[in-house]
Amino acid sequence: MKISRRDLALGAAMLAMPGVLRAQSAPIKLGFTAALTGPFNEFGEGINRGAQIAVEECNKAGGINGRMVELAEVLDDQLVPDRAVQNLRRILDNREIVGLMCPSGSGPTLAIADMIQADGRPIINPQAQTPSIVYPNGLDKPPRPNLFSISIGNVVESEKLAAALSEFSRIGVLHESTGYGVTGADLVRKEIQRRNARARVTVESYNQRAQDMTAQLVRVQRANAEAMLVIGLGADFAVIRRNMSRLNMNPALYGSTGAVTVPYIEGAGDLAAGTRAVNHAAFGRRPMHATAQKFADLYRAKFGTDRWYGTDAANPLISLAGTVASGYDCINLLLDSIRRAGSTSAADMVKALDQTTDYEGATIRRISFTPQNHVALKLEDLGMYEMLKRDGRVVLELRDQ
Amino acid sequence: MNAVRARLSALAADWRLGLLLVAALLLGAPLLSPGTVQIVSFVLIAAIFAQSINLLTGLAGQISLGHAGFFGIGAYCTGILVKTHGLDVALGVPAAVLLAGLTGWLLSFPANRVRDVYLAMMTLGFGMVFFEVVREWNDVTGGTMGLPGVPSAALRTLTILGMQVDGLGYFRLVLLVTAGVILLMRNLTQSRIGRAFYAIHVSEVAAGSIGIPAGRTKQLAYALSGALAGLAGALYAHLVGYLGPESFALPRSIEVLVIAIVGGLGSIAGQVLSAALFTFLPERLQVFAEWQFIAYGLILTFSLLVLPRGIGGLLFLPPRFIRPRALARAATQRAEATTLRPSGDAAALEAEGITMRFGGLVAVDDVSLRLEPGRITALVGPNGSGKSTFVNVVTGIYRPSAGRVRFAGQDITGLPDHRVAAAGVVRTFQDPRLVPHFTVRENLLLGAHRQLRHTGLSAALALPGATRDEAAQLALVEAVLALADLTDVADRPIDTLPYGTRRMAEVGRALLARPRVILLDEPAAGLSEAEMERLSQLIRDMKAMGLAILLIDHHMDFLAELVDDVVVLDSGRMIYRGDIAGMRGDAQVIAAYLGDEAAHA
Amino acid sequence: MDDFFFSLLLAGVSVGAVYALIALGLNLTFWTTKTLNFGQGSLMMLCAMLTVWLSSQGIAVALAVLGSLVVVAALGMFIERWTVRPALKASSGSMGWVVSTLGFGIFLQGMAAKYFGSQAMAFPDVIFSAQDYVTLFGQFVSLQYLVVLAVAVALILALELFVRKTVWGQAVQAVSLDPELALVQGIPVRRLVLGSFMLSSVLAGVAGVLIAQIGGTVDPAFGFDLVLLGFVAAVLGGMGSSFGALAGGLVVGILSKLVGGYVSTAAEHGIAFALLMLALAVRPQGLFGRPEVSKA
Repeated sequence: MKISRRDLALGAAMLAMPGVLRAQSAPIKLGFTAALTGPFNEFGEGINRGAQIAVEECNKAGGINGRMVELAEVLDDQLVPDRAVQNLRRILDNREIVGLMCPSGSGPTLAIADMIQADGRPIINPQAQTPSIVYPNGLDKPPRPNLFSISIGNVVESEKLAAALSEFSRIGVLHESTGYGVTGADLVRKEIQRRNARARVTVESYNQRAQDMTAQLVRVQRANAEAMLVIGLGADFAVIRRNMSRLNMNPALYGSTGAVTVPYIEGAGDLAAGTRAVNHAAFGRRPMHATAQKFADLYRAKFGTDRWYGTDAANPLISLAGTVASGYDCINLLLDSIRRAGSTSAADMVKALDQTTDYEGATIRRISFTPQNHVALKLEDLGMYEMLKRDGRVVLELRDQ
Repeated sequence: MNAVRARLSALAADWRLGLLLVAALLLGAPLLSPGTVQIVSFVLIAAIFAQSINLLTGLAGQISLGHAGFFGIGAYCTGILVKTHGLDVALGVPAAVLLAGLTGWLLSFPANRVRDVYLAMMTLGFGMVFFEVVREWNDVTGGTMGLPGVPSAALRTLTILGMQVDGLGYFRLVLLVTAGVILLMRNLTQSRIGRAFYAIHVSEVAAGSIGIPAGRTKQLAYALSGALAGLAGALYAHLVGYLGPESFALPRSIEVLVIAIVGGLGSIAGQVLSAALFTFLPERLQVFAEWQFIAYGLILTFSLLVLPRGIGGLLFLPPRFIRPRALARAATQRAEATTLRPSGDAAALEAEGITMRFGGLVAVDDVSLRLEPGRITALVGPNGSGKSTFVNVVTGIYRPSAGRVRFAGQDITGLPDHRVAAAGVVRTFQDPRLVPHFTVRENLLLGAHRQLRHTGLSAALALPGATRDEAAQLALVEAVLALADLTDVADRPIDTLPYGTRRMAEVGRALLARPRVILLDEPAAGLSEAEMERLSQLIRDMKAMGLAILLIDHHMDFLAELVDDVVVLDSGRMIYRGDIAGMRGDAQVIAAYLGDEAAHA
Repeated sequence: MDDFFFSLLLAGVSVGAVYALIALGLNLTFWTTKTLNFGQGSLMMLCAMLTVWLSSQGIAVALAVLGSLVVVAALGMFIERWTVRPALKASSGSMGWVVSTLGFGIFLQGMAAKYFGSQAMAFPDVIFSAQDYVTLFGQFVSLQYLVVLAVAVALILALELFVRKTVWGQAVQAVSLDPELALVQGIPVRRLVLGSFMLSSVLAGVAGVLIAQIGGTVDPAFGFDLVLLGFVAAVLGGMGSSFGALAGGLVVGILSKLVGGYVSTAAEHGIAFALLMLALAVRPQGLFGRPEVSKA
């Protein structure tokens, strides 16, 4: 009997078959907890949708090395830190889960950060902005080894804002009394003073959903501020903008990412015109870079022009990047690390993530991590938008390309 | 249904079953996934926290919407001491409990001035102020960024007394603490302290009339409740390892109130079941996906419609307030009601020139009288003539506008009601003011509250001394039950009994408070012939014991057989003092009172 | 008086009027049942959100507001019938109604988040716009806030007249003093209680609409924090007192603004509640409440 090489190869393949089959039948499992329901679900449901799109896209292309991807544990914490802790424990108990995404919001994320670090599996932060999530011991110390972030962190955002504000010599900063607001205000103040030693910065805080900000505003007014920055949610910014109009205050007005959202633009109405604020540049550039455009098309195809996308098919909302696309990028980064590592072990994935170089995401054009740097966002990924009134409505224009 | 409840109650009260359950959890925990162990730890902490509400609201009747404050004080106190100052957890947690208890005690002073909705708002304010302080006090609490890295089981950074404790070990520790708390709560409920809490819950005035001070009792309730909540918070801190202000805001206060109310206030086992339900519920509701939040709302909305008395009321019989062991011990003893005879020198109560004005209205106008030991004085007069007001002045509910009350050489004018009662001047009310859910026996034992001398600690630990003390008083209660012909109904809740029986029970309760002077406000109203006969006998017995008795009533036949002296009031003024025969002939009395009484007779 | 002080004072009066308006709605149910609707904030939210949604469907704003008010009025009746009444029946002393009314509020929040989304929606101008103002001593006074103040004052007068001069008002007082006695006297207690919840809900709706137009947006969590300050105003003024609600609201508003302006904006939030505790400790019955006569 003559055995050809071809037969040998076939036989070997036959022998290997059960293994291949097993690998194909065992999907790659991912999980996360987020505010999927309740009054704070805008962000949680957003990243959930982004994650779904990423998984579907990957599976349609045949999965990773023939293995399908599955969002096996998607749990709802309603932004309650305790519930996030309980959910995360349940996710971590599932040993098949190989990678995770952080919850929406700093509160739950801070509550689970130590836990996930102790566990060691890779996790990527889509939205929470507080720097201590990534760098618990200070910005000059090493990051948590297995936690990576693609969110608009306080640090980069503050740098971008300070660059614009340091032209002025008297600046007022209003911030919400949350971790994000407090750190943001602190970072902006330091950065402004580093750039312009003579600048005087007045910092005032307000509670989220406060209905009147007169006390804060008149204190800024008394300091003769030429420019004012608001760090907080869009709805609160709308209240502030309206309050300013009642006090006849007209300083140059700047906002954080929260300002480039529907609640501010519609809530403040015509008063929004003239406001400048930072956000992802990705969806403001024309043409959009390829992945951003691809994501926008995928989203529209699956969910239509809804409240996350906006009504204009050609121009998705700028905030789509932060609410939905960031979830898409997180999952894709995890999958990319599995692809490059050829393994789903935590150590291999973390190592691969540490070596991520110029990965093209939808929110950030070139995502890179190193063992020392776990924050992907860079100054050029943010754009400074100006709100202009055109044809009876307020539109956004990217001021720096 | 009640048979099922009785069976379940017996099971819940069976210590062997409890022990078995604890042992099973201790030994079986390694079989559970770490996630389940962690979530059961959350359940236990919620159960302790709910007991703190159960104690304050369920027993003492004081509402709190700010318990997250105590919880947070406990959590931050141990968190800061252990993390920042390197103290051992074995010291940090007790310190947290003490601080939270102390805060509760301090809060009780302003809280004692308000009730109901006002109290709810004051405690709400406490919770909000605590939240703001934690959030703004950056240097100590970490402010809005919170306090990360508290040594905790979840992070495997917890050491207690030098021993490394993991999630499983911590769970076992929390389990033992919870079992201890439940045991203490049960003991406390079935002791003089629990009964006193319940008494002020139902009526502070009635509690004061038998010598239970509302103020001090509430201070104790707040301190204990604060300490329990602080304990829960401290255990929480070392479970999760991260403390952020958002975890101690209003929703936490509301959550624990929900657990306690749905669990059934007053029911200890109900609280534990409810804590389990509401901790597991969010996880179970995940199947409702996008409807989850809505489902939670609906459950809260309709739980009381479906379960009016909560889970505890559905599954178990109402709790009892006397320790079975004390009852059993009392059954072996005999006591004579005659031991209720006042000791010491006989003394008279003297009221001199009592005047009580409300605004422009003069309810009592310059009334003087003297109650001698072993004599029965009737106080009669038409409705609104100031009889009850006079009793209220004498017993310390009102401070008189003018005049003095002296008893046994002591000026008791304007003393708080419980001090008047402690001096030996005890009264009953026109409308019986008993604790409706208590049995007759429990109500009577409440009267003996001041005679129970054992410490709160020995009550909480159910030490033999406490049981002995209770048994001795219970034996006396039996004697009074027999005297008042209440033995047959001794174990029936008072609110299921007819009016006449309640009246007798109230007189019996007053008698157990060891009065030297007893003031009975219309004790015969609504009584049947037979019951009235029984009451007459009881009053004669009290006279024979040497008590000074004041008797308000309208039934002249009833009074005629009993009384030594009669005082008649009309429009607040005394118009007659003397014997009953003389009263019948007194022109002024006939004009004011007997006139229209006679017309009807 | 410098501008700084005057601005703060004016802001204090403005937000104080808002708190007073909310407190008035809370008072109504307190009159008849000694309960407060802890889900009142959700009714404010729902009325405002429905108004946005209806007007986005092309319905005139005035009609949209009216339609939304009808819905919340119906919800008010539902709350009385299915959350408060069962809880009071279960045991009058316990605070079960806190749980059930709050639960219904959470339910409404969840529904709003599901069907309208949890992102803040822009609220149309109903009466005046943010730029409409009159000048008073050189300061801009917002007409939107003036409307709130005017509505609050008008309501107080109307409620006082109602209680003092009408038969129904007398009946409400009777129910407030002793519901069982009122029932015996032939007063339709049930209808009155139901009516008080309906009216309370309508007031919540009115407050929701008027406040949402000031801030310009409304989202599912809208209202809850405001109702807490409404509680403070109501309690500070003396529960049940209409004038007290206004006085309480103004005290809270002005004091917190002055503290925010002169001391620290961080302290502005806590001061209202510290004031609440202090005031209750000193004067338990509130500024305008009558002390409870303890029936011995």
